[in-house]
Amino acid sequence: MIEFEDIHKAFGAQKVLDGVSLTVSQGRIVYIIGKSGAGKSVLVKHLVGLVRQDSGRIRFEGEDITHFTERDFFGLRRRCAMVFQHSTLFDSMTLVENVALPIRRHLGATQREALEQAREKLALVDMAALSDRLPAEVGDGLRKRVAIARALTLTPRYMVFDEPTTGLDPVNAVRVDRLIRDLSDRTGVTSVVVSHDLRSIFGVADRIVMLYQGRVLLDGTPAEFRTSHDPVVRQFVTGAVEGPMAL
Amino acid sequence: MSALRFAWDEARGVARLLADTAQALLRARPPAAVVWAQAFDVGNRSVFFILVTLGFLGAILNFQTGFQAQRIFGDTSLIGAATLPILVRQLGPTLVGLMVAIRVGTGIAAEIGSMVVTEQVDALRMCGAGPVDYLVKPRVLAGLIAVPALWVIGTGAAWMAGLWVTHLAFQTNPATYVNLDLTRGADVAEGLFKAVVFGILIPVIAAHSGLQARGGSEGVGRATTQAVVSASLAVIVLDLLIGAVAFGLRGGAGA
Repeated sequence: MIEFEDIHKAFGAQKVLDGVSLTVSQGRIVYIIGKSGAGKSVLVKHLVGLVRQDSGRIRFEGEDITHFTERDFFGLRRRCAMVFQHSTLFDSMTLVENVALPIRRHLGATQREALEQAREKLALVDMAALSDRLPAEVGDGLRKRVAIARALTLTPRYMVFDEPTTGLDPVNAVRVDRLIRDLSDRTGVTSVVVSHDLRSIFGVADRIVMLYQGRVLLDGTPAEFRTSHDPVVRQFVTGAVEGPMAL
Repeated sequence: MSALRFAWDEARGVARLLADTAQALLRARPPAAVVWAQAFDVGNRSVFFILVTLGFLGAILNFQTGFQAQRIFGDTSLIGAATLPILVRQLGPTLVGLMVAIRVGTGIAAEIGSMVVTEQVDALRMCGAGPVDYLVKPRVLAGLIAVPALWVIGTGAAWMAGLWVTHLAFQTNPATYVNLDLTRGADVAEGLFKAVVFGILIPVIAAHSGLQARGGSEGVGRATTQAVVSASLAVIVLDLLIGAVAFGLRGGAGA
């Protein structure tokens, strides 16, 4: 279980999170939604220590991680992986070396062992034939697939996806949606997904949390979200230009 | 006041990164192949630039020194002996430091800054590879190897350019010009020490600027400018401080 309690975060004078509280139950898929700049990515990055809160408390599997050091987060990141909005593959490494990196660093495997395991992981996402290519030599969709394979190498129990379908064609987007659903249904992986993609949100989410003006505006099931009468939620669902949601 | 505050914050940030890098180096050394590749890159990127710049500056220094010497003493036979210690302990390390700050510091800041704004540094941390271990440590070791080597090359180029220009302008005999009598071991030690300090500090300052990059390409541009300004200032200030300490240790100009 993941618990965020009264999280506040500001960058200089700009207040991004203003008392966000939410709980993610084991094995569930929670989508964090909101307009651009609402603080969705900032919120999920708190979970893996990439952003530190100004105040508030975070618990991960019952353990208070609020004051974890960078070294403490090293262990947590083995259990909770993250797929970033951009593929974030390292340009100077081949695809297989990218996937091997967390195996070497987190599990202490030798380079040869890590590369062997990485090739197996790439084969699972049909990328074995391209494993020795550099990231610049393959397309966005394939890079994203490798980034997901890299995140899954350590078989984490928790996954954070930051806009996983952004920039993908519809077919690849559906593949990613299915993967997120399968991870939860087959292996009980808990996923926190940041997304704007309504098709993905309504197709995959167990729960939806909408952030607005630094706070949680709505926390409910997709059905509750669809039937909400809140004008901000309605505007988000319908994509209306006119409405209370400011630019 | 805000500029002073900024300089203070910057110095503290660099000191912290330097301490983290030292700790990381004590924990484990990076693979030798990675360090050599980086050192080769630093050297390769700078060597032509340094040969040309130091060559011209060495020629100017020797020409002006010879011009004055001829006016005052009517004798230019000791130009080579007089300019070599200045080049070895002062101009060589300082100018090489400045050139490396411009040529290599900007590259490091831009590369790391781009990785920060595209979340690659965050991805590194998720993979269990901290930015200090993975990005800063090899570059510092590379600087430690490459900058002293460039100091030797640059100083040599400057002195040899001086030989050529004094021979052309004042008909100084090259055999007379090549005179090591006024160059002491302490001069070499001071020059080498400065080159080592700059070799460590320039990559740390540049990496610190890169790691502070925020936003998009504009943030990378700011980080790159910041890197070259901070590293150049550090080279000049440290040159004076180390020179003053060395002067004191030697017991004055006569030693």
